[in-house]
Amino acid sequence: MVASLFHPLNIFLLGLGGGFVIPLLYRLGKAWLHAGFWLALAGIVAVSGVSLFDVYRSGTPIEVLTAGFAPPLSINLRFGLWEGFFAVPVGLVAMLGALHLWDRLKGNYGALLLYLILVMGIDGMVMTRDLFNLFVFLEIVSIATYGLLALDRTPAAIAAAFKFIMATVIASTFLLLGTVLLYYVTGTLNIDTLIAERQQITGPIGATALLMVLGCLIIELKPFPANGWGLDVYETAPSGVASLVSVGVSAGVFFALVKLLPLFEAQLGLIAICGGITFLFSNLIGCTQTKVQRLLGYSSISQMGLMLLALALLTEIGASASIPLVVGGLFINHLLAKAGLFWLAGVLRQDDVEAHASLGGRPLLLGLLALFMVAIAGLPPFPGFWAKWELVMQLTGMGRLPWVALILAGSLLEAAYMFNWFVRALRPSDERAGEGPDLIALLPVYGVALLLVGAGYLAARMSGAGQAWLFAPLLVGLALYTLDRLPGRVEGVLTLVAVALAGGWLAWSAEGIAWLFAALLLAGSLVIAAAGLYRRDRRPGYYPMLAILLISIPALLRSSTSLEFFFSWEIITLASCFLIAKGRGAGPHVLTFLLFSLVSAFFLLAGFAGIAALSGTTSLSALVTSGPDATVAFVLLAVGFLIKAGAIGVHVWLPGAYAEADDDFTAMLSAVVSKVAMFGLLIGTYLATRSEVSIEMAHGMAWVGMLTTIAGALLALRQSDFKLLLAFSSMSQLGYIVTAIALMSHLGWVTALYLVANHMMVKGILFLAVAGIIWRTGTRDFAGTGGLARAMPVSFVLVAFAILSMSGLPPLMGFGGKWLLLSAMAEKGWTWLALAGLVATFLGFLYMIRLVAGLFLGVPPAGQARAREVPPTLIAPQLLLAAGILVLSLYPKLLMDPVSAAIDPQFAATLVWEGKSLYTIYGYWNPTPVMIAAVAAAAVLGIAAWLVYRGGAGRRTGSLSRFYGYYRSVLERSLPPVATGFWNGVTGATLAAAATVRLLYTGNGQTYALYVLVYFLALYAASLGPAGFWVGS
Amino acid sequence: MTTGLPVSTILLITGFCLALIGLWGMLTHRNIMRIIIGFALIDTGLHIVMVATGYITGGTAPIIDRALTTAAATERAIDPIPSALVVTAIVIGFSVTAVMLGFAIRLYAARKTLSIDAFTESKW
Repeated sequence: MVASLFHPLNIFLLGLGGGFVIPLLYRLGKAWLHAGFWLALAGIVAVSGVSLFDVYRSGTPIEVLTAGFAPPLSINLRFGLWEGFFAVPVGLVAMLGALHLWDRLKGNYGALLLYLILVMGIDGMVMTRDLFNLFVFLEIVSIATYGLLALDRTPAAIAAAFKFIMATVIASTFLLLGTVLLYYVTGTLNIDTLIAERQQITGPIGATALLMVLGCLIIELKPFPANGWGLDVYETAPSGVASLVSVGVSAGVFFALVKLLPLFEAQLGLIAICGGITFLFSNLIGCTQTKVQRLLGYSSISQMGLMLLALALLTEIGASASIPLVVGGLFINHLLAKAGLFWLAGVLRQDDVEAHASLGGRPLLLGLLALFMVAIAGLPPFPGFWAKWELVMQLTGMGRLPWVALILAGSLLEAAYMFNWFVRALRPSDERAGEGPDLIALLPVYGVALLLVGAGYLAARMSGAGQAWLFAPLLVGLALYTLDRLPGRVEGVLTLVAVALAGGWLAWSAEGIAWLFAALLLAGSLVIAAAGLYRRDRRPGYYPMLAILLISIPALLRSSTSLEFFFSWEIITLASCFLIAKGRGAGPHVLTFLLFSLVSAFFLLAGFAGIAALSGTTSLSALVTSGPDATVAFVLLAVGFLIKAGAIGVHVWLPGAYAEADDDFTAMLSAVVSKVAMFGLLIGTYLATRSEVSIEMAHGMAWVGMLTTIAGALLALRQSDFKLLLAFSSMSQLGYIVTAIALMSHLGWVTALYLVANHMMVKGILFLAVAGIIWRTGTRDFAGTGGLARAMPVSFVLVAFAILSMSGLPPLMGFGGKWLLLSAMAEKGWTWLALAGLVATFLGFLYMIRLVAGLFLGVPPAGQARAREVPPTLIAPQLLLAAGILVLSLYPKLLMDPVSAAIDPQFAATLVWEGKSLYTIYGYWNPTPVMIAAVAAAAVLGIAAWLVYRGGAGRRTGSLSRFYGYYRSVLERSLPPVATGFWNGVTGATLAAAATVRLLYTGNGQTYALYVLVYFLALYAASLGPAGFWVGS
Repeated sequence: MTTGLPVSTILLITGFCLALIGLWGMLTHRNIMRIIIGFALIDTGLHIVMVATGYITGGTAPIIDRALTTAAATERAIDPIPSALVVTAIVIGFSVTAVMLGFAIRLYAARKTLSIDAFTESKW
């Protein structure tokens, strides 16, 4: 009884029967009508859900026979796992979509009827095993879509619907003709028989018939450039209908293609090319789009392209085991996230990205928007992330590198325009946010968001990364988010406790160098996060995100596979991005930060995939053991980490992000978060220890590091904004660490770790002190400060202490590190590098003096408000960090012994080093002479600079601030912003290309119909060659 | 019937020609009504093609009775399936045409013109 109630055939009974009954119910009254509609729709979903459960439990698909005959005499349908996987989510989304569209649907029985028929038709396309039946269901779906498109009566919407009809009737004509010709050739319409007798479909008629079927399915998926008709509908249709076309109808068509794919074995490459072109170009053109629904349209189309590409390529390379995760993951990701975005756009009534509809005051809506965008961009923890990872792994494994590049490029473009929307929504709006949408309207959006989270977890399980610890940061963040209404400081304290517990637990399981990093960074992040308590205000969403960020760092450090590493890496990126976005003026810099972070992540992904392809495992230990062919992978990884480290040329994201983030969060970014890239670089460099070529590459990396140091110092000298100065100083100091890592000797690495610890504590103090100064003086410019030593004595002493440690002068812990670096370079024969190091030392001294003098010395500027010392909440963390510096200065063994122990086991075997313990090395290398030489050189350069200044502008007045002013203008004149100019050029060129390509979309329906025809002919020619057009063959 | 082209070939040629004429019309005529007529021609042409594919020269109607035994049916009867498909296809074509005409009415109401060139507001 129950079994027959939930038989899949009832889907059609409910759909068609409901469709017929609805006009009758309409006569009976609204309540009857609505009850009937929901009963039928919920029935369809329930039937498919129960059937899926049955299939899952029994492991055998449900075969549905009709008319009392067995196929091929009758039409048969099948409901297996794959079918259920498509039908159930589509049904759920359709139900939520009906809720979203309810205002439009409820009064219109025709629309209710069409909606039911549409959902049933999609299920039919998914389940049927008969080719002609597929055509019938496609037409049912199409006609229902046409009807629903008529819901909006604006001329643009009607025109778009007509264009849609013109294009799709041509496409379905191909399907009809193809079906009939296939029947003519084979004598059957049964899909299974057709697939079994694939070899018999030969000759010109058979080949043409196949291409017609394929052409229809591809065109229905809206391939570039034959897709203007689809875009127009996405733009103008009601959001609920557009989402249904984007996710529901496309799902049906896509599944039809999945089903028929064995017929198209010869065309797999062609399908992949169609998908790839669509993915790349849709995302490119999307970059110039500001209308929200059209933007989502470009994204929808590109996602379909990606799915096509993935399906065809994975089938071609024989990786069919990955198809459920990749294609299924991409499908469910697109289905839920895109539906959510369309509905959200509809609820917000936002037509244009540029429209002044700020979500700044509505954290919940902003959160939803962010969630969907993160999913669409293929970032964790959503299914798209796991799918893309697997896809890239498989493709790299088979050497399909151009495809990987295409996928990553397209993903980057897509993230660019999607997050552009997000950043615009972030803009703080002056006008009071009006009455927000009510809960009922948002219910469907919440629904898909929840489903998306669940799907993400399932996909993680499928990828073999479902361990609880991996998700600990997100869970803690979620728990804290529920407490977000507590007073700011209470929540801050809770965050600290949570980070200490969860972070400590994660750090405990880390090993070797990773453990060292975890302990160091966790301690540092707790101290610096505690400083945030100086702010009394509520900071909605800040603390949960901070907890996610800080716990993800030890999670990354305890990863044992590259997938876990990459997952945490992306979470760190996202959390940083959202935290930076909390800064008042951060708007435009958030996007830059995110895009450079994504480029970096994509390089890492490619690098990890390269290693996995070589070693056959994703275990991070493969980094140590893989052979000499890993050079390419090493370069990819190094580039990825260097981008994130703000190396020269790709540093353009750094100043804006550092300067515009909240002042206390900048301290976190610079002191703690930047070190994650350093850790990555360190473990990535293991790869390079294997081959001569890589050693040369490491030499290159050392130069990158040194040039970064010099460029960072020069840029710091150019600033009159002292927070920016510190930002560039961070870049400069990270350059030293990169150079130290590139030395690839025991000594270099110990120095690197030493610098990491030093920089963490120094920059923590400096940025926190600067936060206090900005707070007290209200300015970030040297022009508004000076002479603060009297007003803020403790801050002054702390800054001076930190600067001393950063400069490398004795007796603090910075002493030793830098000078050892210089002598190690000289020892290695890298003379030029050592000389460059001298210049860097000099420039470093210059900006450090500038910072201390400009803030604390001299006379206070006129009109400066009377500043007071900052409260203990801000001083105490700085004191703790200073104590850390002091302890490590007095007892360096505390750090060096664990470092030595951590490095030795893996390293002794890989690199020549003289078997001495580190302590003896430090005893053996005496840094003092090198330091004296370097300081002397710096002094000589300094005197020379002073003389030049006196000889030029400073003839009369020789004040320090004018000295810096003079050189600032010299630097401004002599150092054009090459990197910024270059990246602006890249952006401009991309946008210009997009603006040119999109001219294809003339808006004329007839032109679009012609594109469809030409597209088919192109497919035909590409598949059969010019001979295909020769009738006589 | 005298020898010459079998009727199915004539039908095939006619059908394809009709479909091509329809396609040509759809792509060249600016008037939306003519575009719809173009579609109707394509559709009709294809229906003719479909019927023609099932035809067997000298065959008979596929009604199994005393005149046509089951054994003989496989050789002499024309294939009924394309005819059955055509019936469905005609119904579908009919509804699509009706929907198109409905949209044409609304388009005319919106702009007082039926030129397809007047409906290009959404593009790029």
